[in-house]
Amino acid sequence: MRRIRPETRWAYVFLLPWLIGLVVFQLGPMVASLVLSFTDFDLIGSPEFVGLGNYAKTAQDPKVLRAVGNTVYYTALHVPLSIALALALALMLNRITGRAAGVFRTIFYLPSMTPYVAVGVLFLFLLNGQAGMVNQFLGLFGIEGPQWTTDPDWILPGIVLMSLWNLGSTTIILFAALRNVPRELTEAAMIDGAGRWQRFRSITLPMISSAVFFVVIINTISALQMFDQVYAMFFGNQIAQQSHGDAALFYVVYLFQQAFQFLHMGYASALAWVLFLVIMVITLIQVKVGNRLVYYEAEEHAG
Amino acid sequence: MPKYHPGRISAVALLVAALSACGGVGANSGDSRGGSGEAGSGGAGSSLTTMGFGLPDEIATVRVDAFRKAYPDVKVAINEGQFDEQAFLSAVASGNPPDVVYLGRERIGSYAARGAIQPLDDCVSREKIATGDFYPAAQQQSKYDGKWYAVPEFYNSIVLLVNNKAAKDAGVDPASIDTSDWDALAKLAEKMNRVRDGRIERFGFYPKLPEFLPLWAKANGADILSADGRTAKLDDPKVVEALDYAGRLVESQGGWKKLKAFTETFDYFGEENPFATDRLGAMLTEQFVVSAMAGTTPDADITVLPVKDRQGHPVNNVGGNAWVVPKGAKHPDVACRWMKTMTSADTWIAAARARADKRAKEGKVNIGTYTGNVKADDVIFSEVVKPSGHKAYDDAVKTIRSVQQAGFVVPPSAAAAEFTKAWQDAGNRVLLGERKPADAMKQAQQQAQQAIDEATQ
Amino acid sequence: MTTTLDRARPRVEAGGPADDAGRGSRKVFFLVMLSAASALFLYPFVWLVVASLKPRSRTFADPFVPWPHPFAPENYLAVWDAAPMLAWLVNTLIIGVVAAGAATLSSAFVAFGFAYFRFPGRNLLFGSVLATMMLPAAVTLVPTYLIWNSVGLTGTQVPLWAGNLFGSAFYVFLLRQFLLGVPRYVFEAARVDGASYLDLFWRIAVPLARPALIIAFVFELKASWFDLMKPLIYLQDPALYTLPRGLKAIVDQFYQGGDPKWEIVLAASVITTLPLVVIFFFGQRHFVQGIATTGRR
Repeated sequence: MRRIRPETRWAYVFLLPWLIGLVVFQLGPMVASLVLSFTDFDLIGSPEFVGLGNYAKTAQDPKVLRAVGNTVYYTALHVPLSIALALALALMLNRITGRAAGVFRTIFYLPSMTPYVAVGVLFLFLLNGQAGMVNQFLGLFGIEGPQWTTDPDWILPGIVLMSLWNLGSTTIILFAALRNVPRELTEAAMIDGAGRWQRFRSITLPMISSAVFFVVIINTISALQMFDQVYAMFFGNQIAQQSHGDAALFYVVYLFQQAFQFLHMGYASALAWVLFLVIMVITLIQVKVGNRLVYYEAEEHAG
Repeated sequence: MPKYHPGRISAVALLVAALSACGGVGANSGDSRGGSGEAGSGGAGSSLTTMGFGLPDEIATVRVDAFRKAYPDVKVAINEGQFDEQAFLSAVASGNPPDVVYLGRERIGSYAARGAIQPLDDCVSREKIATGDFYPAAQQQSKYDGKWYAVPEFYNSIVLLVNNKAAKDAGVDPASIDTSDWDALAKLAEKMNRVRDGRIERFGFYPKLPEFLPLWAKANGADILSADGRTAKLDDPKVVEALDYAGRLVESQGGWKKLKAFTETFDYFGEENPFATDRLGAMLTEQFVVSAMAGTTPDADITVLPVKDRQGHPVNNVGGNAWVVPKGAKHPDVACRWMKTMTSADTWIAAARARADKRAKEGKVNIGTYTGNVKADDVIFSEVVKPSGHKAYDDAVKTIRSVQQAGFVVPPSAAAAEFTKAWQDAGNRVLLGERKPADAMKQAQQQAQQAIDEATQ
Repeated sequence: MTTTLDRARPRVEAGGPADDAGRGSRKVFFLVMLSAASALFLYPFVWLVVASLKPRSRTFADPFVPWPHPFAPENYLAVWDAAPMLAWLVNTLIIGVVAAGAATLSSAFVAFGFAYFRFPGRNLLFGSVLATMMLPAAVTLVPTYLIWNSVGLTGTQVPLWAGNLFGSAFYVFLLRQFLLGVPRYVFEAARVDGASYLDLFWRIAVPLARPALIIAFVFELKASWFDLMKPLIYLQDPALYTLPRGLKAIVDQFYQGGDPKWEIVLAASVITTLPLVVIFFFGQRHFVQGIATTGRR
């Protein structure tokens, strides 16, 4: 046996907290979660092995279907819209210089300093269909706004609208990427007679593609795990839970209810594993697609 | 307590114990937890922790003071806040629950069947709790499987509350409104309703669906659950007819989506309540809304009427909160004394007196305190509550008292939560126009019956 | 690494006066657009603060009048009576500082291990850091709860911060990158002078990594301040609540429940948000740099 060098021993001393955390709070729970997902553990009675029963139930549970549908719907709207808007803001920020850009950047980020519960509460007021500010604002233009908080068809669009208030960090990331696009390139293209759209398409966008790719992944993962705002808005006490049906049922909300409201912890573990696999697959696909689209030259400039 | 991966957990236990020993933040949890932790020293009877109960008014504080006076050695920690199912079950599961919990009586069956709350028969006989004093409907809701699981508090009745101005605008004498004639009621609702430019200005008649579906069904002569709590009857044609009727009422007044958003802007308990501001024509409501209005708007021009079934007899779906003792409570004996004190006739009468004195001092109207205790109510309404000179409220007292005997409840069930959710979901779907009443209730019936069967097997 | 934003950029001076004029008018257009966008982003705050200072009967009235009329500052007295806001504020602050301090220091400790030492298995272990960044918190929710439950710490505030003592992947990554930028001879010189590895960490790495440590601290403080799920799961005693958990209880009672007291809900929302906004104004630079470099929100 080779003697372990003291340096290596010290290295592991420094890594010890990480290793403990990894085993106790990451790997251990992941394995435990997998084991639990094959049981009907409910914290009060003694658990029994149910095989793949929980997974079979997942596939048949209409609530899971609804929750998946809502979550996908929200993600599919939230991610492109928020990135398009953030990109528009970042492009405009990039055109003005000096202190003003900094002030605007601060303002755009400010909503992101509002705890999600407070965001949910605030929009419960703003989105009220009869008296809320949003519909009163639309009313100024003669538009009769929908019933955002009570019409099941409009609850999700309302939540998307709320999510668009929170795009400060996406804007900052894209703005930072834009500032690293060397101006010589666009100037050169301009001299070559390239139009504005052409310059954006063939120079700016490729140069910031890695940043765009990054915000797509980050926003997708967090959208799939949406919880705080909707839970605060629509899942308070029993009255609130029952008066909105399942229109605002998101996947993690359902998982949380199963685990901690009904104490169906085995079933919740199965739901958690399904979520984990889905996020893995989506991320892998995005990375694969991203590799093809992202122009990595940009990295060198950004570094 | 879970027996799960003992090996790994004991390793974690050591680690975590070390952490918590030096944990600054964890340390301050001790004092506010109010003794359930450090109470061991004084033995049983030294402390009591409550959940789901607040101290918003004199009705609460006077009774808590009565307990403190009777048991000065007990350290009472009241964790204010509404009952929260998730927090409650987590507390029970963690093995460190509060000693006594305050919750809606309709939930008791579910928790009793699940073993989350304890039977109280010993407590009732040991402390000689006068259960015979409680209204029969309140008794029924506090028992499960023949055993006492709860001690009831308030006794809320449902009445029809009319905005006289709206009725007169519609050309109707408010006192003549009769809920037994459904066709006339529907016409009246439309007449009292006011919509301008797509915006609702006055909700003509608020039938309080889906919450009050059991009442609507009863008014149409049907029960939604068999007396033994084992057979759901949600697809009974009479239930479907009631839902259909109430659903069309809402539809004809602008649709539920708008009306719901409109009702969310109502402040029933303030001076700007929807009756004082003429935003509601009439509604079915628990009497505590009337009670609050007596305090905030003594001169409101309203009429309180009994709800009648289609044969013209009064119907009244009663409810209210109750005290329960969770499984694993550290001080069930103290909890038992607490429940007895809080609900005894003497305590209620003292609280009702305090309310009457306070309202009198403030120059406000008092319509009395409607307790679950018959004896207390008899004294309160003969000795404490005096005519105020505000006819609307004095008549309201008579109306509420008159419908108390007609009180019925949905029988307790092991799957009460799932059962309620099934019909409420169905009611919502109908109101939102997603489903036809018959389809919705058929589906609800299946879900409900399945849940009941699973819970009682 | 954090200087990319403010770095002076090489600029090609091109275009004559006509071009400048075109640019000038375009710049005005962008300023107008950005101002309009700012108004949209700011107005919900204005509404929140204004509505919280109005009597309940006026909550929904005049949404476009940006001052409270009638003025009802007593709402802020009422909210302290309605709920133990002060205790919640103190809880949130203490838990936030402890959680952020724990995450920052432990992450720095681990990051130093990864940045300074060369040892077998380093790449594999660093891979585990990157991998756990992807792990959705929901997956470990139930078992983590069972761990705390089995040691009797559910119902206490310990689970809200103790997990942070073991380093957090994001900050380990950030701090390692930062420390890799420190020239190695700085450490080697100290070694020659007889400094221990712990000295290297405390005396050299920590002071040098200050900007990155501040970023980690403010982000974790924010994350802890935001958190709703953990307090929902672990806290049952209202006296132990954090502000978001408390605000949730207030909404349940005074908005969704049958007892609407919007002025209480709104004032509590302002109290929950305001301290963070203040922190943000003081630590703005760190937030902006942190987002641009780590992508944390």
